[in-house]
Amino acid sequence: MQVWKRCEMKIFANNLRLFWQGTVLSYVALFAWFRPVTYAASKVLMPLAQIIFFTYLGSYATGKDSVDFYVIGNAIQITAVSGIFGVTFSISGDRWNGTLPYLFGTPANRMMMFFGRAFMHIIDGALGVVIALTWGALLFGVDFSQTNLSALGLTILVTTISTCGLGLLMGCLSLITANVMFVNNTVYFLLLIFSGANVALDTLPPWMQTFSQVLPLTRGIASARTLISGGSFAEVAPLLISEIGIGLLYGWLGYLLFKWFEIQAKRNGSLETV
Amino acid sequence: MKFKNLIVYWRTVLMVAEITLRHQWNDSFILFAIIVQPMIIAILALFMLRGLGGDYAMYVVVGSGLTGLWSSLLFISGNSINNERREGTLESLVAVPTPFEVIVFGKNLANVVQSLISMSSSYLLAALFFGYTLKMVSPLLFVGSVLISIFAFISFGLVIAPLFIIYRGIQQWQNAMEFPVYILAGFLFPIALLPAWTTPVSYVLPPYWAARALHETSTGAGDVEKVIFAWGMMLLFSVIDLFLASKLFKYMLYKARVDASLETV
Repeated sequence: MQVWKRCEMKIFANNLRLFWQGTVLSYVALFAWFRPVTYAASKVLMPLAQIIFFTYLGSYATGKDSVDFYVIGNAIQITAVSGIFGVTFSISGDRWNGTLPYLFGTPANRMMMFFGRAFMHIIDGALGVVIALTWGALLFGVDFSQTNLSALGLTILVTTISTCGLGLLMGCLSLITANVMFVNNTVYFLLLIFSGANVALDTLPPWMQTFSQVLPLTRGIASARTLISGGSFAEVAPLLISEIGIGLLYGWLGYLLFKWFEIQAKRNGSLETV
Repeated sequence: MKFKNLIVYWRTVLMVAEITLRHQWNDSFILFAIIVQPMIIAILALFMLRGLGGDYAMYVVVGSGLTGLWSSLLFISGNSINNERREGTLESLVAVPTPFEVIVFGKNLANVVQSLISMSSSYLLAALFFGYTLKMVSPLLFVGSVLISIFAFISFGLVIAPLFIIYRGIQQWQNAMEFPVYILAGFLFPIALLPAWTTPVSYVLPPYWAARALHETSTGAGDVEKVIFAWGMMLLFSVIDLFLASKLFKYMLYKARVDASLETV
């Protein structure tokens, strides 16, 4: 019994180490060539510019009272920069840099390897949302005085995790298509419409509303708006449960695709060519 | 860049433009920049601005088309020299007797002209899927505005491309430069909404004058004098941009030769 437990602990420790190493190394590999200024341009100024553009565009039509709607929607949607682009590049990077055969040649736990790719982007994405909301408060006067900040923090974390779930699925698609930039950019911009970041969902045609409900971000944005306008955690809890469920489902689908890709690539001898 | 070169080398300009178009047509990122992204922005703006009344649809069509034009100029024309370097053709292009800026002019011509698809696709989207009846108020002036805008965008692109090569630090801001021009040039909302201190910045951007001319001629918001003034500003900035481009190209090539870094600049 003791030996069995020690063995289990060792496997657990090894998996944890693998998860952490995969997390750190994939993130460093993605951003190593970046200078802080490039990071600032992508993570601070680009989100700011997006928020300003859509907030002015929206308030041009509906007046200044609606500023909060656009600032919060776009600030939360910013998590997709890390969730979609960051996670996808972390996975597809192994293909483009020729390290995929080595990864698939190891006996390492695939689940740890796969989900480890998203971990740093969850932290990074959540930080991006905090920066974006800070811009919203400083430039557009978004008021957080009525906000349950810990619930908002949880909302940001949950939404980032669910968006990274979609990113994991997109990352696997990048293993089977060369048009990864096209797919990523298209998904990112479609989220601007379907997540309700810029258009109230009840004003969209029914088929678009239905589609919105199967996407990450939709409930996270609704939850953040409710909390910032003074809503309680109990009001948003069902939204957050659905949001994390959707994210985990996408992540799981991504993992299945990742496994399928490995089996097919080994069977067809197409690991480097698919 | 000398105007004379454009006349002397007009065949080269057209040939480069044709090859660039053929080359780029298979690039999915370019399809995204000139068709998908402007259409998504158009859909968003059509939903967001529908409370403004009937005329806004044409405003959105032109504005979203302009976003495609700017994104294409920033990402495709801005990287045009870098791409030649990556493909190993930069040395040959610099070595041929044709001035290098003439070749880049041809590439920019192709990029800007193909970006006009973004306006057409937004037009079709608004008309077919949203059911708007779109009426061009001053078609002749609009065509004139499009032609002058093309020239202004190409000239602006000739400044951006060498700048990205000489000062790599600027290129690092490329992703962050897309939305600010959408905002400052008034593509989809008037710059009067912005703080007053941003207005002079808008005035020195050729895309702002292009947006003014195209919006005013398509929706009939401005009189002929205003349109002519916008044309004049675009031509003025084009001359300034071509002058700056000639200096920048000379400096870029000189530096590359001195440092022996043509392939690594």
